[in-house]
Amino acid sequence: MSTDDVQDQGEDTHIDIADGVDHQVAMVMDLNKCIGCQTCTIACKTLWTEGGGRDYMYWNNVETKPGKGYPRDWEESAGGWESEDHSDRKPGDIHPREEYGGDWEFNHSEIMYDGSDEPLRPQTDPEWGPNWDEDEGAGEYPNSYYFYLPRICNHCTHPSCVEACPRKALYKREEDGIVLVDQERCRGYRYCVEGCPYDKVYYNAMTKKSEKCIFCYPRIEGEGPDDEVHATACAEECPPQLRLVGYLDDEDGPIYKLVEEYEVALPLHPEFETTPNVYYIPPYAPPQHSEDGESIQSIERIPREYLEELFGDRVHDALDTIERHRDRVRRGGESELMEILQDKNPAQQYRLEVFE
Amino acid sequence: MSDRQEANSNADGWTRSDMVIVAVVVLAVGAAATLPSISSARPANEVPVESVSANASSPTAPAWGDIPAVTMALSSAPSGLPEASNVSVQSARLQAATNDTHAFVRVSWSDATADRNVTGPTAFFDAVAVQVPTNESARPPIAMGGSNNPVNVWYWSGDGTSEELLAGGAGTTTEFASQSVDARAAHENDSWHVTFTRELAGDANRTDLDVERDVDVAVAVWNGSYDERAGRKAVSDWHYLALGPGPSGPPYQTILWAAAGLAVLFVSVVTIEGVRRTRGDGA
Repeated sequence: MSTDDVQDQGEDTHIDIADGVDHQVAMVMDLNKCIGCQTCTIACKTLWTEGGGRDYMYWNNVETKPGKGYPRDWEESAGGWESEDHSDRKPGDIHPREEYGGDWEFNHSEIMYDGSDEPLRPQTDPEWGPNWDEDEGAGEYPNSYYFYLPRICNHCTHPSCVEACPRKALYKREEDGIVLVDQERCRGYRYCVEGCPYDKVYYNAMTKKSEKCIFCYPRIEGEGPDDEVHATACAEECPPQLRLVGYLDDEDGPIYKLVEEYEVALPLHPEFETTPNVYYIPPYAPPQHSEDGESIQSIERIPREYLEELFGDRVHDALDTIERHRDRVRRGGESELMEILQDKNPAQQYRLEVFE
Repeated sequence: MSDRQEANSNADGWTRSDMVIVAVVVLAVGAAATLPSISSARPANEVPVESVSANASSPTAPAWGDIPAVTMALSSAPSGLPEASNVSVQSARLQAATNDTHAFVRVSWSDATADRNVTGPTAFFDAVAVQVPTNESARPPIAMGGSNNPVNVWYWSGDGTSEELLAGGAGTTTEFASQSVDARAAHENDSWHVTFTRELAGDANRTDLDVERDVDVAVAVWNGSYDERAGRKAVSDWHYLALGPGPSGPPYQTILWAAAGLAVLFVSVVTIEGVRRTRGDGA
């Protein structure tokens, strides 16, 4: 199939992408593969948010669930839309700086250069920070549970941050639906910060403007030093390679199949009604154990109710579908879904040149 | 009776009643001279513009003590933003002056907290803006002008920065490529005093203040510690800087009132003379 054929198909797609947007970038993260190593977080931070008033920003963060997340209790700060008709926005809150966590000073210099034998530690008395509740999770031994949730901007189809800005400083790029803050237009009013229900827009007190994940657009445009197209840094640097990056309307790509055909990749908090374009394969966990260490097959370790809170009621069908396909493969059968979820072919994992 | 009448007459033959009539005439003429100043008491939306010899760009310059201030009632702007109607500043005082080259505008308002620093995502600056029509002969829509009738906005923020902006409606403020407005601020006795200084002469898209006509003016105030920013602000109605003579301004007005005074004087003299002659005839 030629590239032109793919493009034609893309234009005829039934997928709901935003008005005025040609194609929609999308990402699928398989939560079953995340080991919480924060390599994605550091890759992003090193590339985009080192210094210049960005110290506290993590455009990509990985938080432990259940947990309060980053910023603390972000799921309770509202924002988004009142309903799926996207006529009324839900007012949101701005988190105080301390709920993101401080930028702590450490005694590196004393230890490294002055011969101090003090332990390396913050020179303040921190009370909160990203990953403060890492690996705590919920449940009681031997049935405690947690999983990691990597988060970036969802580059939503109905972005409430864009609607919140009175200056139209935020916009969806026509060519790929990436949501950006025009730094020339932004005047730091922060209605976008309070309007995003995922709290993925950040205020830079040094530049007095707001900033956010840019889906590494210079990388996907091939504008880097090597002139090659790259997936986002968070995806490419991921040790277990849990992310697929491409276009939602690329009907031959794995993202389309996982989201639209098998419906096993789900948006986070769909009730915010912003229609995210980052999707998650929900986490699977072993069943609960009895006191004598035996598996109790009928009781799931991660309560479905909790997963439903995060991913909506479609999580039941998604997990059932995955279970069905796993079972099929266990029995010696074939499953395209299982092949996609286990694919290590970068050409499939990162499909960023299909529409060029 | 005749003796008493003669005793009440002065050497020129003026009787007491003549004196009363003269006094009334003098009062009438005096009133005619005084009336213009009474009748020209300022309309509520007029901002007098005083001439100053010195530079008044400092908000604490002594000259401001002698310049009349107009109190402007402020209310929330209907911007549609969250909490837009929830604003804290009720009024601001506006003063204006010019010297040979510059215009000086001082805005003062009560605000106990001087929000000068924004160290985190939940802090906002105090701020004030003065709005004048780009084309001073046409009154633009109050909400930051319109696309065909823009406004100049002089904006000062609590961090000490100022901007000269052009706007053609809400959400359209654009900074001038070169800035010609200087702003200085002082926070004293729980009040902000901010002066804006700009050369009188305008240029493309820049309001010309070197004019002999009134120029509309409005102000907006933001209280940072009340989370006010953007369209969540306390704004005034249009007022005007009294830069021109106005429809009943000094030259026209003086001639009219002088003529009226002379007419009163003439009628009075004729009346007195008529009375005197009538009495003379009677004697």
